Amino acid sequence: MTTSIKKRLGVLWNILLIVFCCIWLYPVYIIVVNSFKSRSEMYENFLALPKHFTMEYYLGAFQKMNFFIAFKNSLIVTVISCIIILVLTSMTAWMFVRSGNRLSKFLFSVLIVTMLVPFQTIMMPLMQEMNSMQKATGIAFKDSLGGLIFMYIGFGAGMGVFLYDGFIRASVPASLEEAAYIDGASVWRVFWQVVFPILKPITVTVTILNVIWIWNDYLLPSLTLTSVENKTIPLAMALFFGQYNIQWNMSMAALTFAIIPVIIFYLSAQKYIVKGVAAGAVKG
Amino acid sequence: MKKKKVLSLVMTLAVGASILAGCGSSSTADSSASSEATAAATSADDTASQNTTEAASDSATSSGDQKITIFQNKTEIYDQMVAMAKDYEAETGVAVDVWQISGDDYYQNLKTYLSSESGPTIFTVESDTEIAELKDYMSPLTDLSFIDKENDSLLAKNDDGTVIGIPTTAEGFGLVYNKDLYDPSKISSIDDLVSYIETEKDSGVEGVGLSQEAYFLIGHILNTPFALQDDPDAFCQKVYDGEVNIADVDEFQQLGKLFEAIRANETNPLEVTYDTNVGNFATGKTATIHQGNWCYSMFADYDVSFDMGIAALPIDGNDKIAVSRPAVWAVNSDATEEEQQLGKDFLNWLYTSETGTDYLMNKFGFVPVIEGMTADNLDPLSQTVSDAITSGNILPWTFNTSWPAGIVTTYLAPTTEEFFSNPDMTADDYLRALNDNFVQAASE
Amino acid sequence: MKIKKGWYILFTAPLMIIFAIIELIPFVTGIGYSFVKWNGLGKSPKTFVGLQNYARIFSDKLFLSSLLRTTIFTLITVVIVNILALLFAIIVTSRLKTRNVARAMIFMPYLIGGLILGYIWNYVLGEGMSSLASLTGMDNLFFNWLVDKKFAFYALIVVTTWQLAGYMMIIYIAGFQAISDDVIEAAAVDGANGIQTLFYVKLPLIMPSITICLFMTLSNCFKMYDVNVSLTGGGPNNATQLVAMNIFNEIFTKSNFGYGQAKAVILFFIIAVITLLQVRLTKSKEVTL
Repeated sequence: MTTSIKKRLGVLWNILLIVFCCIWLYPVYIIVVNSFKSRSEMYENFLALPKHFTMEYYLGAFQKMNFFIAFKNSLIVTVISCIIILVLTSMTAWMFVRSGNRLSKFLFSVLIVTMLVPFQTIMMPLMQEMNSMQKATGIAFKDSLGGLIFMYIGFGAGMGVFLYDGFIRASVPASLEEAAYIDGASVWRVFWQVVFPILKPITVTVTILNVIWIWNDYLLPSLTLTSVENKTIPLAMALFFGQYNIQWNMSMAALTFAIIPVIIFYLSAQKYIVKGVAAGAVKG
Repeated sequence: MKKKKVLSLVMTLAVGASILAGCGSSSTADSSASSEATAAATSADDTASQNTTEAASDSATSSGDQKITIFQNKTEIYDQMVAMAKDYEAETGVAVDVWQISGDDYYQNLKTYLSSESGPTIFTVESDTEIAELKDYMSPLTDLSFIDKENDSLLAKNDDGTVIGIPTTAEGFGLVYNKDLYDPSKISSIDDLVSYIETEKDSGVEGVGLSQEAYFLIGHILNTPFALQDDPDAFCQKVYDGEVNIADVDEFQQLGKLFEAIRANETNPLEVTYDTNVGNFATGKTATIHQGNWCYSMFADYDVSFDMGIAALPIDGNDKIAVSRPAVWAVNSDATEEEQQLGKDFLNWLYTSETGTDYLMNKFGFVPVIEGMTADNLDPLSQTVSDAITSGNILPWTFNTSWPAGIVTTYLAPTTEEFFSNPDMTADDYLRALNDNFVQAASE
Repeated sequence: MKIKKGWYILFTAPLMIIFAIIELIPFVTGIGYSFVKWNGLGKSPKTFVGLQNYARIFSDKLFLSSLLRTTIFTLITVVIVNILALLFAIIVTSRLKTRNVARAMIFMPYLIGGLILGYIWNYVLGEGMSSLASLTGMDNLFFNWLVDKKFAFYALIVVTTWQLAGYMMIIYIAGFQAISDDVIEAAAVDGANGIQTLFYVKLPLIMPSITICLFMTLSNCFKMYDVNVSLTGGGPNNATQLVAMNIFNEIFTKSNFGYGQAKAVILFFIIAVITLLQVRLTKSKEVTL
């Protein structure tokens, strides 16, 4: 008896959750339906389903944006930035926690505090600095994907270190590392072979957050990338936002297309936050 | 064990990639000249020689292929600009790279590019305030071949009178009206317009539609009473100095009367977006909207079955629409001499060659602004603007020439939002608040 | 075990150097600009004005009121976002069959930003609300929120919450997943029920996530610009203008670069004090292994 009640309760909860999610995603529904409507149809009925499905705006958006080039650029920038951010921030955070000295504490606070600086106030000095660096070194910092990646590493530093720091303190016992040192492992090997695997859940989280951020970022690439062949997806989408005429249907089609990879990525990444990875390690 | 090895390999690779990325892999730069220069500079790992650095830092290099870049505010014509760039390269061998950003971000990005010495060869500048700000970046254009055919009042000039910008096109605004519903010859005063609004309301049609965006809500419409003064510049100065209060001036009081009628009879403009505003007009729900010829492209998707035109806002019997240049072309004075010359060559081509003028008039849909230049396929609204220029029957854009920088978005629109959301605010209160805005903004 | 200096430098220097170049130097340069009068263009003159820009702030009513408004906005939003995010994280880490779908659905709003966000919500709050009103007859609650000063502010909170809750949920999920099963089992053996386990075992163990999420929502809300511009544009009559928008307008619309920077510096110190207090407070509650 009680099990069947429990089961029914379970079904009820599932239904409630899905209903809630549908309400939650109502604005997303609006984006999708309007990516199929003409301007006049949008005007007549913004909230309803489209009268007929046409891929016109998807194809139009594809062509206008040079979607494949933009997609490739977004992919390069996101993947490389994320990998480097993961490597550098995990190393730094672990070293900060384990050394525990004043310098580490100071540098940690500096990293965290600069996360609070509104981007708009540093963008002009940053671009001027990039210009002088380019002049001084001959390296292309402006209008190059490499330069953009370089900037993302700097901007991603704070959040990465912060997240790793919290996790290392809470879930990585120093005793494990001690054992490895006794076996004669170097610091490098201890980090990559003992510590880094334990960091997996937080690594996945840091990756997800960085992917979402970099994939969608508009302002920074808009200031650094100017040539057509360097544009990322959000930048290419700016084409639909004219001064006096915004092509909402195309921009919504483009947006729908642009977020699908992120959702697929998220769905496949979240299963790596496997329960028990950390637990197994902590047991030892 | 194997896993760990793979992992450390991946990590080593990643660190390697970080070093590579630090070295700026501008892998996709297409212009062979600039990417070669970059590569050369990158390979010279220690202090690169002065020459190579120079070459790398300028997007268009002086050696090898010739290239210019164009950055302009009208995102709508981007596709046409790209097509034009191709034709230009085919005709002259000079490559043209067209940069683009969303309309709203244009000026902020332009400023950042110029300030970090990465500006384009040719760019557009909109208001006079912006021209004053950027004048050090705008090189003299006096030697353009068609410069003496330009309408003098539309040129952008330096403090010493040197021409530094030439108009892109002309735009005009007023009451964009549906010829089936509105007859400008019968409405010659604000009182007529107010009673028109009231009678139309009974038949379920809105007389005058405004929308929520700063310029469509107040910026453009407030221009008319200023432009109707004998000397708008001097009048503005008097307002800033506190000698005149616009609330005491008849033209402004008439505008106040119109605003009260709109608030009492129409949908709250704060609830109407530009898209809805245009949709209401296209579907015959609104007889007139306070807009300009730029909105014509918005009707493309609608089956518009009526004729339209632009009528004057009849304050004090006014019969003129406000026409001016929305922007000027400028050549970046930071670019190399050679690049500047290439930029000017391009402008000469655009305004004098057959292909160039074809793009301007037929593909961009620009209104001719040069003596002797005519366009045959203008849309009806642009035609009205073009005719107004020919007849000289136009009002100036005082918000571009005389108002303090940024006043429309930072002061006037908020005050107007207050007026439309607070029914207790009288037109007089409102005009006095606007006057305070001008005094305040001018003092900053 | 004491780690040698060489390793310390190898592990931390690459990141710290890049970080210094990208964030620190421009930030310090920006502070320098707060003492000059300048329009932000390289060729325009910079006049040194000392503390004049700072002095001006105290009589800038619009800025001060936007600062106060931002503080209120932040306090309310931080609380709502974090409670919701925690709740979502608890639900989607439960045994419900639909949890995986729900996870992806809840986090999706964060992917929609900029102008599109404002446009969509304009319709939800306009047409959506009016159809709700005709459905329920409650037209004192369901009307276009964006035309009313108080409700436009609420709309800002609602939309920000909608955007951020799913994002923060991701961090909380990671926190919950890191809790060892042993601890939960031990609690069960001791006879703790679900609620007790949550409050006395799980929540203390995810304090690091709480620290991080509070910090990130605090700084996100204080710096909120996107939603503000695209949803309300600061209106009606500046009633919803947040401080980041005020600074942005000063720098780019009015071209007072130095003065805008001075405002930014003040804002920075306020956020820094508040968030560091918060981090210290929540960190003291963390359990370290």
